[in-house]
Amino acid sequence: MSTIYKVSYVVQGGDHPGAILNEDKKPELGQRVTLGSNVFEVVEIVDLMPARGDFSFLHVTVKSIPS
Amino acid sequence: MTLSATLSQVELFEGLEPDELEKIVAICEERTIAAGQVVAQQGDAGDELFVILEGLVEVVHEETPEDPAPRTVVNLGHGQVFGEMALVDFGPRSATVRVISDNASLQVIPREAFIEVCESHHHLGYVIMRNMAADLSFKLRHQHLIGR
Repeated sequence: MSTIYKVSYVVQGGDHPGAILNEDKKPELGQRVTLGSNVFEVVEIVDLMPARGDFSFLHVTVKSIPS
Repeated sequence: MTLSATLSQVELFEGLEPDELEKIVAICEERTIAAGQVVAQQGDAGDELFVILEGLVEVVHEETPEDPAPRTVVNLGHGQVFGEMALVDFGPRSATVRVISDNASLQVIPREAFIEVCESHHHLGYVIMRNMAADLSFKLRHQHLIGR
């Protein structure tokens, strides 16, 4: 089985609570991600804890994209 | 994709053997919830664990005398679980969970069947409880990072 990325998305600034979800592909810096009805840009990616089995655990900081 | 294959991509079931995963499949019930609907209400009794296969939910702490403004503490999406606290500690729901995507596809596991299968199959029970602790740890780390 390919790697599953369990991601903690934290939004820079504002009061968005962020999100936790599984991704099939590892997020990349500059990538745009959609959380609900909001679109954000990835600005930081950190391994949150060591991988276990097929799972990698990431902390991803994102910032709002001005509309 | 079979439900067994789908659940194998959920961290809660990571490390289970195929025959153990089938025991979980046997106690799952599919539920589709529309946008805006409440899946779990803070303060209510809860005896079900939820696995999100599709969609997004928001977890909201409702107003209390100590915290007068309701606030969303996290959104949860594909592959995540919720309802596990009330399932294992028998306390009331600690937050309200509401669907915020067009709809959400959930697998629901009732407490009685869940405990029975964990107690009857110790390796299965150990793996799921370990993964549940790791998931709670991950959620706690997420909260710490939000407050950074």
